[in-house]
Formats: sequence, structure tokens, C-alpha cells
Amino acid sequence: MSIYYLTKDSWKRLLTGLTETYDIYVLKENENKLFYELLSKEDLSGDGKIIYGKARSVQSLKSFFHLYAEDVSNLKNEKVKRIIIGVKACDLKALAVLDKMFLEGDYIDPFYKEKRDNTIIISSDCTEPRDNCFCTLLGGKPYAEDGFDLNLSPLKEGFIVEAGSDRGKAVINGNKSIFGNEAKETLNEDRARAREKITGKVNNKNKDFDLKAEFWKDLSKKHDSSAWAEHSEACVECGACTVVCPSCYCFLLADMPEKDKFKRVKYQDSCQFSGYARVAGGATPRPELYERFRNRYLCKYDYRPESLGIVACTGCGRCIEACQGGIDKREVIIDVLKRKK
Amino acid sequence: MDKNIYKPIDAVVEKVITETSNIKTFVLKLKEKFSFATGQFIELTVPGLGEGPFTPSSSPYETEKLEVTIMGVGGITGKLHSMKQGDLVGIRGPYGKGYPMSEFYGKEVLILGGGVGMAPLRSFLLALLKESGKFKKIILCYGSKTPGDVVYKNAFPGWKKEKNLQVLRSVDKADKSWKETEGLVTVLLDKVKIKIDNSVAIVCGPPIMMKFGTFKLLDIGYKPEQIYLSMERNMSCGLGKCGHCGLGKYFICKDGPVFTYDKIKDIPGVWD
Ligand SMILES: Cc1cc2nc3c(=O)[nH]c(=O)nc-3n(C[C@H](O)[C@H](O)[C@H](O)COP(=O)(O)OP(=O)(O)OC[C@H]3O[C@@H](n4cnc5c(N)ncnc54)[C@H](O)[C@@H]3O)c2cc1C
Ligand code: SF4
Ligand code: SF4
Ligand code: FES
Repeated sequence: MSIYYLTKDSWKRLLTGLTETYDIYVLKENENKLFYELLSKEDLSGDGKIIYGKARSVQSLKSFFHLYAEDVSNLKNEKVKRIIIGVKACDLKALAVLDKMFLEGDYIDPFYKEKRDNTIIISSDCTEPRDNCFCTLLGGKPYAEDGFDLNLSPLKEGFIVEAGSDRGKAVINGNKSIFGNEAKETLNEDRARAREKITGKVNNKNKDFDLKAEFWKDLSKKHDSSAWAEHSEACVECGACTVVCPSCYCFLLADMPEKDKFKRVKYQDSCQFSGYARVAGGATPRPELYERFRNRYLCKYDYRPESLGIVACTGCGRCIEACQGGIDKREVIIDVLKRKK
Repeated sequence: MDKNIYKPIDAVVEKVITETSNIKTFVLKLKEKFSFATGQFIELTVPGLGEGPFTPSSSPYETEKLEVTIMGVGGITGKLHSMKQGDLVGIRGPYGKGYPMSEFYGKEVLILGGGVGMAPLRSFLLALLKESGKFKKIILCYGSKTPGDVVYKNAFPGWKKEKNLQVLRSVDKADKSWKETEGLVTVLLDKVKIKIDNSVAIVCGPPIMMKFGTFKLLDIGYKPEQIYLSMERNMSCGLGKCGHCGLGKYFICKDGPVFTYDKIKDIPGVWD
């Protein structure tokens, strides 16, 4: 693995050059929350404050690739080249789920692919996990090991930069004068120390949640647990959990008349809604709220691991933060696993 | 350039055949080349209103035209039922896996159908008859609510003359004109002579019939892996991407719609 060290100033010089070709999205902070915003001139002159570390943003990568609503009537030819900076490890894991759904199998979603092909993803290590972060309970780490084009590890007054793909390497090779020579091996050790510290922080935040490694493998046997119905009582069926979830991929194709033709729109959808699985005549396989509530857990921890080979929850904690009923999925899972029935 | 997997190809309604009071068959002429394996389904677009999954009821060997037999039950099917010759629709597909025909060679093929479930089964039956000699025996057991609800009325006389095919029909409630069995379709299974060891059963019909049909087949000695079921769930994309048709770890549109019972029998809520 080759790594480079860039000072903040060199990094900004790099960004300045890249703005000529790319729309660049960076993280900005607002009331203790991070949002992706288009990089502005002030950000480069030094007045604007870009966040690299901290933790995950409010929006996930889904908002860039699997849009809330998208006209899919016809292929578009509007290749927008983008760079997204500050992506966290958990969100890369979620992107792997979306990639499997939309880019693999017999059919490739051309709308998703076009955006993916034209976007460079620059991840960065977490430095301050949020209260609801639980990536480590899911076997994840608060820093990315794969799935990125470039990764930044904040260190002193700059970053350790690592390439994770050919696209990332091309950025480095195209800007040799900025990147200079590869960094010394000792920086690797500094990075490892910082990473260990932050992993400890996430573990510490979850010390009260007693979940053993690969706990999800036991959930398939807990379909009939009474805990599902009990915990679902707090659910108000708003669907926020699935909207904010970076790996929820469900969608609905809806048509509407338009001039002499018609328009087909792909909307994000949610298995939490009662109409989601309804068939003609009104029957649905999940008529009760607790059945829909349970479905979100089983989809992420049982069905998708079976069909995709990866757990479809990353532990980003967004659904916990978004829940109007104050449901913490860690508590639900512990209760479900604990009960005999 | 990538293909737009969400875009249908144009098709024109060439003929509408009224089968029963709420079932019609639509003969469609497609504007592009299209072929399918029997058992696969299509997404049929009513322009501006939306799409629904339907299984072609015509023979897969018929490449000029495609037929779909549709029961009017709601928005899209209701609109389809008001369509006339010359109207425009759209088609995506074919999707899913068809019946594994060659696995049935040399076997006694038992077809158990109910109501509009006869639609995919007609396509299947026509495919079987095309190479009829390859199968030991074909038995069709078809049930309808009343004599008036029998679809493909004109096809049955011909089928009854086929050498290698035995046809048994029942209606839940007979009238004076009905000369065949009265009772649920499962009672027909008591009348067939079949070597179950060398047989497969192909089932399609309303959910309740699928469930009790399967139980009856198990009862008389079929093994779960000998029973082929056409599963139905809400569908949107048909492509294994939108999530709607989930059945445990499977997406019915992609992994089905035909499953042998052993694959799905342990999934909670499989009949719901
Ligand atoms: C693989 C497969 C093959 C099939 N083959 C056949 C066939 O050959 N012949 C046949 O007759 N039928 C067939 N069906 C059934 C057929 O697809 C349905 O009967 C048809 O889609 C009903 O459409 P509709 O618009 O008329 O019914 P509706 O009841 O109006 O709507 C049906 C769909 O729209 C959704 N919906 C309706 N209202 C809402 C709302 N307010 N919000 C959200 N969603 C809503 C429902 O959940 C349902 O999915 C098949 C189904 C499958 C899965
Ligand atoms: S869940 Fe883990 S990787 Fe994601 S933001 Fe929190 S600490 Fe970082
Ligand atoms: S289920 Fe919740 S914690 Fe898991 S990935 Fe989705 S939003 Fe994040
Ligand atoms: S209909 Fe979309 S996944 Fe099956």
C-alpha cells in the first residue's frame, strides 16, 4: 500500500485544480450535524470550513445515487462529473449494498450506473463518533479499508492520502507535483494509532449493548419472538428509518400521463408502509404493523446476507436518530435475541 | 450505451377475446422482436397509468403475437378491460425463470390450475403439446367457480382429443349444463391415475387454491421438490431490484416466479 502526506494547503491546491472538471461536494457542519454541500470559492480561500473527520453526514450517499424521485422514462446524456469528499466507512459499506442491487445480476440500472461511473469517492476516517454510531458491533470499523477511490486520514495539519482504486491512483498520478513522493512508513504507524483510538471510542459508546460478534446470524431463528410486536408499538409508521437508511434500496415505478406519451418515475419506497406489498384485492403478506417492523430487521440481517452475502446494516445509527417513536434498534435486537419466545 | 431497463417496448392490441364476465384475453402485436420461455412473465404498461405483471398465455413458439389473459380486478386491469383493437400498450420482459421443460422429459406431468391461473398454464400446456411425445403422459386438472367462469372454452374440445393428454375439469358450483365434476379442483386429484414417483405437478391459481392444492399433492405422495408453484406477490420492477416481491431471501420476480415447494416451504408466511 502506498500512502502520501498532504498538508491542508496542498490539499486545497489539489481541490482548486479539480474544480475545473468536477462538481465537488464537501461536508459542512450545522448544529452539530454534517451536510454535503457544493464546494464554494470561500472554502478554497480559507474562510469556509470544510469538515473531513468527525462522523457520518445527515444525508447518505443514497441521495447522490438512488434519488428520492427520478424520471427514468428515457436515458439521459448528462454526465455530471462529481467528487464527494468526507464519506465515512459505514456509508461505503452501504454503497456496496446499493452496488450489488443496482449493478449486479442480469439487469444493470443505467441511471445508477451513470452516476456511479462519474463520481469519485473520497472517504475519510472518523474522528468523533456520534452517540448512535455502532459500526463496530457489526464488525465494521470507523475508517475505510476498501470501497473508496481515495481515503483521507486526518493527521496533524494535513492528511494521509491512500488510493483504493485505479480512479484514485489516476488523481494522484495526474497531480504528481502536489502529491510529491510517497510518505514514510512511520506515518502508517501514526495512522494505525489514531484509528485504534477512535475504534475504542465507538466501542465505548456501545459498551452497554451486549451483542456478540455476528449476532445477526441468530435473528433468522427469531421470527416468532414476541419482542417484535412489543417494540413495534412505539412505531408511528412514518418510514423515516428507511428514508434515512443508506442501504435501503426499495423503489416503486409510478407512471403519469404526459403530452402524447407518459412519464415513468422511480421513487424510493418503504417496506414499512402498509400498501408496499399489497396485491390486487387488498391482500398483503404483512398486514400487521409488527410484521412490517420485523421485515426491516430481517431484510437487513437475514435476507440480504443470504442473497447478497453482506449484512445490509452498517451501524450508522441514522434510523435511531430519525425514529419518531424513540426506538433504538440495538435494544430491539438484544431483546429479541434474549427472549425464548 | 446502456439499456434502459425501465422502458417498455410498444405493442398494439390486435384483438380482445372475452373469456368470462371478468376475464379477457388480449392478443398483442409487438413493435420489436420478443420471445419468452413458458413460465416467464412480462410487465404490461397501460400508458400513463402504470404497469402490472402478467404471464403470457400463448405458446412460446408463437413469435408473431403475444397473448395475455387478464382478470379485471383493479386500476390497471380495469383500464385494460376497456381497451379495444388498435389501442397502444407497452411491454417489458420477459422476466423470471421459466419452467425447466427438459427436466420433465419422460415424466407424467400433472397440471393443477384454478381460475385465471389457467393463463400461464395454457402457455405451458401448448409448449408441452408441441413436443408431446417427450412426456410420458400429461394430465390437466382445471377448476373454476362456475361453468361460466371457464376460460379458453374453445380450446378444450381440441385438447380433449389430444392423445397424450387427459383433461379433467371441475366447477365449485355446477348448473344443469355441466356434465363434469362438481367440487373444488382438488377432488379431481382423487380421479387421476398417475405414477407419482415419476411425476411432477405444476400448480397455478388463486392463493387459497395453491395452498390446499399443495397440501393435497403432499397428501397423495408428491415430494416437495416435485411440486412447481407459481408464486405471486406485489411487483414493481420485475428485475430483482425494487424489493417489492420479497419472499424471505428470494425476490419472486428474479428467483421465481416458479419455485419448487422444497425451496420455499420453510419460509414463514409463504402462503400469506
Ligand atoms: C408473476 C405474476 C404473473 C401474473 N399473471 C397474471 C395473469 O396472467 N393474469 C392475471 O389476470 N393476473 C396476473 N397476475 C396478477 C396481476 O398482476 C394483478 O392482478 C394486477 O397487477 C392487478 O393490477 P390492478 O392495477 O388492476 O389492481 P389494483 O388492485 O388496482 O392494484 C394492484 C397493484 O397496485 C398496488 N396499489 C393499488 N393501489 C395502491 C395505492 N393506493 N398505493 C400503493 N399501491 C397501490 C397494489 O399494491 C398492487 O400491487 C400476475 C401476477 C404476478 C406477480
Ligand atoms: S458508524 Fe462508525 S464509521 Fe459510521 S460515522 Fe459512526 S463511527 Fe464513523
Ligand atoms: S438500518 Fe439504521 S443503522 Fe443500519 S444502515 Fe440503516 S440507518 Fe444505518
Ligand atoms: S418486482 Fe422488483 S424486486 Fe421483484
